[in-house]
Amino acid sequence: MLKRIATLGSFPCPDLPRLVDGLPIGIALLDGHGHILMLNKTLEALTGFSREEVKGLPCRHVLRSRACVQNCPHARKENQGVETDCINRHRRKIPIRITPVTVHNQEGQPICILDVVEDLTTLKEMEARLSQSAGQGQIIGRSPAMEKILRLVPVIAQHDSPLLITGEIGTGKDLLAESVHKASPRSREPFVRFSCGPMPSEMLDTELFGRMVGQGSEIQPGRFQQAQGGTLYLSEISELPQLQQTALVRYVDEGTILPVGASKPIAVNARLMASTAESPEKLVQEGRLREDLFHRISAIRLHLPKLQERGEDLEFLLHHFLTHFAHRFKKEITTISAEALHIIREHSFPGNIRELKNIIEFAAMVCTDEEIRAEHIPGHLSRTLTQTPKHLASKQRKTLGKKS
Amino acid sequence: MEHRILITVAQDEIAPRFDLTTEVLLVTLSENDDLIARKSFLLAHASGDELCDLALSRDMGVIVCGAIEDEYYHYLRWKRIEVIDSVMGPVEEVISCLVQGKLKTGDILYQRTREKE
Repeated sequence: MLKRIATLGSFPCPDLPRLVDGLPIGIALLDGHGHILMLNKTLEALTGFSREEVKGLPCRHVLRSRACVQNCPHARKENQGVETDCINRHRRKIPIRITPVTVHNQEGQPICILDVVEDLTTLKEMEARLSQSAGQGQIIGRSPAMEKILRLVPVIAQHDSPLLITGEIGTGKDLLAESVHKASPRSREPFVRFSCGPMPSEMLDTELFGRMVGQGSEIQPGRFQQAQGGTLYLSEISELPQLQQTALVRYVDEGTILPVGASKPIAVNARLMASTAESPEKLVQEGRLREDLFHRISAIRLHLPKLQERGEDLEFLLHHFLTHFAHRFKKEITTISAEALHIIREHSFPGNIRELKNIIEFAAMVCTDEEIRAEHIPGHLSRTLTQTPKHLASKQRKTLGKKS
Repeated sequence: MEHRILITVAQDEIAPRFDLTTEVLLVTLSENDDLIARKSFLLAHASGDELCDLALSRDMGVIVCGAIEDEYYHYLRWKRIEVIDSVMGPVEEVISCLVQGKLKTGDILYQRTREKE
């Protein structure tokens, strides 16, 4: 067959076995009926079969992929790869991508098929690792208010319209923005966060929109360019000066930005998300947020409730953080005493979830046994309670079981 | 003592994958390895778990299949079912080898016509 390939081509055929053997991806050379002519070394290692023992066999028995059985890649369009899995001779299931390429002679007649087989194990492991560490699971809640928001996240994620997130400090605005990004088709692209704190106007322009450098031929990328294809999240948008707010209006309208020193605008594709801890209507009234920008960025608007408005979420989050910090500090903390729980419940949490997280982190840090007690809670919380109710002192300590 | 054997089938050959099999052949051999019964089973959908359940509920002693994942292989072995896997070839050839008592893991029973270089 190799001689036939060389004869049919007008140019001398290179030493094909040696050529494909040197490739770091798996290659199977098949005849027109899907029978194996040869495997390269990479594919021999992947499948566990040697080229001699499988020569002439149907490819489905050698590659043993799901696609071979359910959706043969050869029936698909030319050069269209299919992600699937195979089971090798050592009974190991391996994620792979198969891309068939038909080799033609000068008359356009097919001579043979090359199946390009890529091992996706490393990529799949990385995907699993990333989705575990930065998945939507980070934002949690069981209260009706939070469940409503969590139900909306996948829906909102599918759109490209700007998103405005409101809510007091520490309610999880940044986390929600990242969750929407992770659930969106842009999830593989960058999520760029920018805090619109006080900054000189030109520096802010450079940070956001980039600047021309050298002879004006190169762009030093700003946040917009860094977020190309992904999401740009601007926290505390009301802190932005009017000039930059005007530039944002143009971006939302036209999809273009003007880098510092550039003569003409450039097109950028990034989904815009913004947040503010104050009421946007009030900001507009006070002239701190341009009304035209407000109406544009609030195409989709989500409001995160205060911790006090989240009912059962207090205890749910408390146990979540307790488990998290116990694991992080390598401690066997499993419960919290009724007295400590009472102190936490009575606190008003002006810093919302961030404050609760800090309190539990401190308690877990100083706790030396299995139970968080009142003395482990930061002092300023205990002092706000003038006295602990007597019934708690006399009552046998009721502890809450470890959260499953 | 009879041998009860489950063979995973795709058309007239051994199915390339155990977990993607939708047809099985249940074969019974006598103590002298004579074929005394064969019965085809069509499954509603491919499932490795259900195939394991079928083998156990039918008291199979041997399973003949193509590629099988480690997890299923060790489960079936743990349940004292012999697994002859990585078998390639037409079903009739496989049965013939079983009757002769010479089928083993990794057997390739296709008639191959090697192209002359």
